[in-house]
Amino acid sequence: MSATRPITSADTVGWRIDDIGPDEMILSMGPQHPSTHGVLRIELITDGELVRDARPHIGYLHRCFEKHCENVDYPGVIPYTDRLDYVASMGNSLGYCLAVEKLLAIEPSPYVQTIRVIMAELQRIASHCVAIGTYGMDLGAFTPFLHLLRDREKILDVFEWTCGARLLYNYNWVGGVSHDVPEGFVKACREIVSEFDQITYPELVNLLIGNKIFISRTAGVGVVSRELAISYDLTGPNLRGSGVKYDLRKDEPYSGYENYTFEVPVGEGQYGPKGSCFDRNWVRVVEMKESARIVSQALDRLEKLDKTDVREKVPKRVKPAKGEVFARSEAARGNLGYYVVADGTAVNPYRVKVKSPCFTAMSAFHHVARGVMIADIIALIGSFDVVLGEIDR
Amino acid sequence: MKTWFADLWSGFYTVLVGMDITWRHLFTPKVVLQYPEQKWTLPPKSRMRLHLKYEDCIGCGQCARACPVNCISIKADKRAAGSAPIYAANGQAIKLDVKVFDIDMSLCCYCNLCTYPCPTDCIYMTPEYEFASTDIRDHLYRFAKPDAVFLTVNPKPPAPAPAPAAAAAAAAPKPTEGGAA
Repeated sequence: MSATRPITSADTVGWRIDDIGPDEMILSMGPQHPSTHGVLRIELITDGELVRDARPHIGYLHRCFEKHCENVDYPGVIPYTDRLDYVASMGNSLGYCLAVEKLLAIEPSPYVQTIRVIMAELQRIASHCVAIGTYGMDLGAFTPFLHLLRDREKILDVFEWTCGARLLYNYNWVGGVSHDVPEGFVKACREIVSEFDQITYPELVNLLIGNKIFISRTAGVGVVSRELAISYDLTGPNLRGSGVKYDLRKDEPYSGYENYTFEVPVGEGQYGPKGSCFDRNWVRVVEMKESARIVSQALDRLEKLDKTDVREKVPKRVKPAKGEVFARSEAARGNLGYYVVADGTAVNPYRVKVKSPCFTAMSAFHHVARGVMIADIIALIGSFDVVLGEIDR
Repeated sequence: MKTWFADLWSGFYTVLVGMDITWRHLFTPKVVLQYPEQKWTLPPKSRMRLHLKYEDCIGCGQCARACPVNCISIKADKRAAGSAPIYAANGQAIKLDVKVFDIDMSLCCYCNLCTYPCPTDCIYMTPEYEFASTDIRDHLYRFAKPDAVFLTVNPKPPAPAPAPAAAAAAAAPKPTEGGAA
């Protein structure tokens, strides 16, 4: 009944009593809700099962990342960037390294760049495995999660043999990477790619994405229109799910992405309107396939390239001249930007600002959440694939 | 009506396709390791517990400066004048008396940044991961040993200027640990 009634108070603290109609209720979802992917609290005004308005409350995982960066030296920031989006650490540290390298005017060798591309793309596959797996779990399909985690494990094994850590790598360094690839790396990666093509992808499509129940549960739910996606600066799979073909790897290539052939998948709206939860997940699935393609091309390239010392251009002491720089890269969840200011006198950054893709996705959330069912809120958060570590920082 | 039946059919069919996969997985080998009984091999450069070889530490404090979480605390004084020279395993003279070398592993973020600047490679990460304890104070590792035995003979004396001599010194066999008292 009152689903279209406008909210009168636009304050950020909370709703006033006169915002709530006689048959409405404020429902607090989270911060310990299992489907909120971390610690996110959402306040909902509900009219029965219908959500009239939603307001996400973030900050439960705030760790003072940006302030902390001002007190550690440039290489010391990298372990912290790993902890922003802890599901896709490689992409985070890559973005930060690109920024500092821009500040120092260092260009890593093609060998290093190829290693970075392989790592970033493997990480993208691993991250999307978790994203889609947990999304299925949010909607009640538990099995695909286990299958995807099994396949993600192989990628993490490769990371562990390369740099010694499974989750938080500290692998991308300013000017290089911490370790050269181990023996048998190319073979192991090729196995991962072929296993992905032969096992993971068909299993994922048959188990989850092609399932009629999954399709009817997600298609047409949480539709983000093209205009809304652009105006809220959604990036990554969330933007491409709405049908906008925008990928920094294609449009603004970094780390030698211009050398690889791959497609940028966009949502097609096969089952209902374009930009629904299904489209966002469909884009992720196709993106994993494209990532596997990039990895196999990069492996070919790695074998042809001359081996150079991966730490050759790593500066002994990172002390950039006065200046500021903004660098962005396509992390697993979208366009991740780092704004780094150096004052020229200290070995620690004067300011580090992160433009995180999950934060912008969360800012569009209330817009999409209006008028959906409570159960669809869960489908909506999962389809945005937010990681609270990156939102709260 | 027609779409209703078509939806019903595709609902059944796609579920059966999924069931087929789960059914086939009954006959594939298990991927789960039963942890305490089964353990997988960790790579040699696996980053787990930090370790310090105290006899090689020269107390320069570069690891403590590199640490982004400040989990290493070092206190070192100048060694008493006239005391016999001692050396680290790579030939560096130890000029400081390292009184305190504490690593708080409950703070450590396992980034490995402390090990790279070490001039004697005495701090490193070990692939040992089973060190959970019920008391957080057990994670404060005190590496300073008052009764440590140092090398008193320089294992790699600095080579004189001519090149052939330097090559000979490099080719000399490495000294065994704690060989000289």
